[in-house]
Amino acid sequence: MTDMSNDPITLEIIQNSLQATADEMFAVMKKTAMSSIIYEVLDMGTGITDARGALASSGAGIPAFIGVLDKAVKVIVAKFGKPGDIEPGDVFATNDPYYGGVTHLNDIVVAMPVFAGDRIIAWTANIAHNSDVGGMAPGSLTGEATEIFQEGLRLPAIKIISRGEPIRPVMEIIKVNSRMPDVLEGDVWAAIASVRIGARRLVEIAEKYGVGTFANAMASFLDYGEQVSLKELANLPKGTFELSEEQDDGRTFNVKITISDTEFTVDLRDNPDQSTNPVNTSRDGVMVAAQMIFKSLTDPYSPANEGSFRPIRLLTREGSVFHAKEPAPIGFYYEIELRVYDLMWRCLAPHMPDRLAAGHFASVCGTFIGGIHPDTGRQYTIIEPQIGGWGASRGRDGNSAIFCGFHGETYNCPAEINEARNGLYVDRMELNTEPGGEGKFAGGRGIVMDYRIRGDNGFLTAGYTRSKFPPWALDGGREGSPNYIRYLGRDGTDKRFSFVSGLTTHTGDVIRVVTGTGGGLGDPKERDRALVAEDIRNGLITPERAREVYGYTG
Amino acid sequence: MANKTIRVATDVGGTFTDLVCFETDRTTGESRIVTAKSDTTPPNFEQGVLNVLEKGGVDPATVDFLAHGTTVVINALTERKGVKVGLITTEGFRDTLEIARGNRPDFFNLHYEKPKPFVPRYLRRELPGRVSYKGEVLKPLDLSGLPAILDDFRREGVEAIAICFLHSYANTSHEQAALAEVERLWPGVSVVSSHQITREWREYERTNTAVLSAYVQPIAQRYLSRLAGGLKEKGFKGSPYIMQSNCGVDSLESVSRIPITMVESGPASGFWGAAELGKLIGEPNVLALDIGGTTAKCSLVENGEVKIKTDYWIERDRTSAGYPIMVPVVDLVEIGNGGGSIAWVDDFGKLHVGPQSAGAMPGPAAYGRGGDRATTTDANLWLGRINRDYFCGGEIVADMEAAGKAIRAVGEKLGVDADEAARGIVRIANNNMVNALKLVSLNRGHDPRDFTLVAFGGGGAMHAVALAAELGVRKVVVPAGASVFSAWGMMMSDLRRDYFVTRLADLKKGAAAGIEAVFAESEERARAQFTAEGVDPAKIRFLRYGKFRYQNQEHTTEVLIAEGAVTDARLAEIEAAFHDTYEREYTYRLHAPVEMVGIHLVASAEVGKLTMKKRAATGAAAEVALKGYRDVDYALEGVRRAAIYDGTKLEPGMTFVGPAIVEDPGTTVVIHPGNRVEVDGYGNIHIHLAA
Repeated sequence: MTDMSNDPITLEIIQNSLQATADEMFAVMKKTAMSSIIYEVLDMGTGITDARGALASSGAGIPAFIGVLDKAVKVIVAKFGKPGDIEPGDVFATNDPYYGGVTHLNDIVVAMPVFAGDRIIAWTANIAHNSDVGGMAPGSLTGEATEIFQEGLRLPAIKIISRGEPIRPVMEIIKVNSRMPDVLEGDVWAAIASVRIGARRLVEIAEKYGVGTFANAMASFLDYGEQVSLKELANLPKGTFELSEEQDDGRTFNVKITISDTEFTVDLRDNPDQSTNPVNTSRDGVMVAAQMIFKSLTDPYSPANEGSFRPIRLLTREGSVFHAKEPAPIGFYYEIELRVYDLMWRCLAPHMPDRLAAGHFASVCGTFIGGIHPDTGRQYTIIEPQIGGWGASRGRDGNSAIFCGFHGETYNCPAEINEARNGLYVDRMELNTEPGGEGKFAGGRGIVMDYRIRGDNGFLTAGYTRSKFPPWALDGGREGSPNYIRYLGRDGTDKRFSFVSGLTTHTGDVIRVVTGTGGGLGDPKERDRALVAEDIRNGLITPERAREVYGYTG
Repeated sequence: MANKTIRVATDVGGTFTDLVCFETDRTTGESRIVTAKSDTTPPNFEQGVLNVLEKGGVDPATVDFLAHGTTVVINALTERKGVKVGLITTEGFRDTLEIARGNRPDFFNLHYEKPKPFVPRYLRRELPGRVSYKGEVLKPLDLSGLPAILDDFRREGVEAIAICFLHSYANTSHEQAALAEVERLWPGVSVVSSHQITREWREYERTNTAVLSAYVQPIAQRYLSRLAGGLKEKGFKGSPYIMQSNCGVDSLESVSRIPITMVESGPASGFWGAAELGKLIGEPNVLALDIGGTTAKCSLVENGEVKIKTDYWIERDRTSAGYPIMVPVVDLVEIGNGGGSIAWVDDFGKLHVGPQSAGAMPGPAAYGRGGDRATTTDANLWLGRINRDYFCGGEIVADMEAAGKAIRAVGEKLGVDADEAARGIVRIANNNMVNALKLVSLNRGHDPRDFTLVAFGGGGAMHAVALAAELGVRKVVVPAGASVFSAWGMMMSDLRRDYFVTRLADLKKGAAAGIEAVFAESEERARAQFTAEGVDPAKIRFLRYGKFRYQNQEHTTEVLIAEGAVTDARLAEIEAAFHDTYEREYTYRLHAPVEMVGIHLVASAEVGKLTMKKRAATGAAAEVALKGYRDVDYALEGVRRAAIYDGTKLEPGMTFVGPAIVEDPGTTVVIHPGNRVEVDGYGNIHIHLAA
């Protein structure tokens, strides 16, 4: 056979195989995991990097997890830098944002080197949200934490399997630190299966085409990613764009974005100091947010790799909320990451009306409900992001009830499975018809979901943003509606929360999850009359409100 | 005629209606085979069926067994040609159909459009009443609001009603009561409740299944009754059997009640054919590949069994969440990669093939109907793999000038000549198909090297050897009549029904009785249904599968449970089988408790299935069928002088070696250098790849 190391078709075939492998790793994790947050919600991601840790391909899942795995691998590669530190069959793990973990301690990254002979040719990696990794509160997440030590066991980029054999003491430490040891063990093994199967495939590919060709395919794939990004970057409006925005918690966040033909610079230096509450993020976390918005603006359709992100320059200030220093707590990092993402989106939307819609509910609305299952006597923990309304765009109403920009190929939990597995009742799950989001094009609807608790001494923890300041509108549309939790105690208590930690729940209490409707776009008076009539007919708006906002008299 | 059995399969596709007829002499067992094709005749599809019977010279009055497959259901769904549906569901859950699962598969695309529900909000109505996941009635069903709902539905022009209540998989009584009341209040309306279709959990999936079923029900019922009427008028005395998505046939009456089960009947018959062919020739492990004009589909057969799942979605891909249909469908992967798939070069000089297709109009450039974009077929012609002087069995004069122009245009963008571009197109197309084959094998924990590739459809045999080589498969079988193989599969099908029931159980001592009860209950249901249709109970065959998982997991692994009642003594053996299956698929096992989530029962009975008769080797040498030689470009193996054989003249026992091409009116078999070929007693072509 002739030399194939630079044959474009061969390289293309290898690149397709990398994608297929990342997808296969994803399928394995999904089918073997034990936490519903992984198998049902799919709060996880898989990826392949080159030998240095540059992201080459990623499996479906969560956009916010795509730029995480490479950062973890790079830390492992640097830490295990001596010859012999990394051997065939080894598997590594990190969950600590101060050691390449990017996110929070619940998310364990598992990574495996792929060897061809004695040479590392790639890494396979996997990240997933684990139900409980210890710390001061069940589920490991709490607004009460003031230091990362309170948020769970820290795995600072360590080896967990050596030459194919689990390092028993390490595995035991991981397991014993969890309130749900069997589940954590099952999920870590699911992750190991995923990286192992991925590694096996990559070895087969490298053997078939040769290591040199394999490496060329990866390198050219990254260059391709960069070319795609640069081409589209050239089509974006140039200049510097700025925005300041007040947050629900009173802080003001600032962003300055400068777009040139070759660079997309996000300056977040002018922002508050890190908090003693777990509402900080690592610099890597902010980078992921910048990567997400950049990818959506330039090339949302082809797979993301390190090359796609090369034009991004990120400026942060160490010690700030967007570049937290040890030991700042980071449990709710994802809300902060989303706030930055939404801030960048809002900053650019008026300048790129065809690319960016009005604001969406833009919160993970992470909801944690736990207790004892009344039928089985076993501990249950619900850990779930919520679905909500997206903003209207030019020419179309927003989508109703889908996951926020942080999540992607993510699934809500069916009421039937929730009731069986968690021993509570879901009394209703319907579209939120609160007023908001009206416009020539209307925002999509959020949801209202009622959980009725069936046991005593359970708990509720939640952290929602866009609760005080609802999703923003464009071009004269109406703001959307807020995200919040309503707690309706059996004793008549009625409280509304955006952040709540460890609230004790009892039999008969109702926890109502309400997510926002997206922002509207354009003057409501210009909305197509037929669409207003349809909204009324579908019970999404009252005739009175239609008259008031839309001037509809039909 | 008396000593002949006549079996007919008709298949209504989007463009053509196909016929295959086997006239078997009862004394000798020899069969005369007739095939015919005529236009599909929407909206009176039965006319096309009658036409094709006439064209094939088959008198319906003489037919003993008639199987029928149709795309009417899938077409009504994808073309949105169903009826207006009203949904009745549990209080608090009318938006389940619209909320769906909330996923955004195309996650970087901020312009993603969520699939629209098939029933708008104002036609989604609620009734109070609740059942628990264990089947207990928590709140009685209140039907007092039903008359007003039905009045609204009538006023709005609703033509079919779907009913789905929470946890109806565990207790069907509320759905049954609502169904009976709807039928009482609105006699003759088309209505279906979810438990009639599926007994599995996940309310969105089940609700959508009921809605889509209602959406096609009046159309499919009309279709089936006209078909039965038309055949009867022409003297057909039996009752037609209808091909199902689970690889079985079912009676027309039964399918009329739940027609959504026909949704993938076309591909299912081909995959069943591959399984049956495998049994016939001693190849129980088969990778089946069906390449048509616009798509390639594949499926895996292990130990002669097709894999049936209820995790089926339409219109689902990387850019859309699609719609679930929870009915038993053969586990298949379909990609937009067929003979008509268009090759294109993106802005960065990367070559892609499909998923856009040139379809039948204008078709590949070589059709000479104005198509100016190169397709896989054009590349195969250009490389000499397809005979340019025998294109489409000689029915079309290949427009090589148009093909060359289209391929050169691709080459210019890539900076290569036409030959190189054509090779690239074939290699990319092959790679797409290899990845699809990996999805059904490697991704499910099977090593493709343990399987034989059975390739059919118009384009299967053209690519099969290259794909096999890529996957390490050692043998490819191209069935006789590969282009009408699906119809043959229909004739080999059993009457088959798959019962899925969600039922949670642990595997501790004392659990066996409950597990046995749910199997026995389902077997009883199956037996009653079969017997009511006149099937001899002694002929019913059951296969029991359990769906197991480690405690706390969600997704299950299906394990075949050996014959005999489930007893406590057998639980350990069942658990061990689960551990083994699980480890093979996922590389590890746990010491965690194992639980059962539900059952999958397969009930089948033979109904007039065809028995194939082997022909003895004639002793003739393959040279008899040799038409000549021509240069063929094998892409990776270069240009070679290949022997060209006439497929219609191949006889049992003939052998030859590659490089070679076999030309048949319906298909072209590409045999690579070093391949060894033999023709078996049924006329199938066995290609052995060099080790």
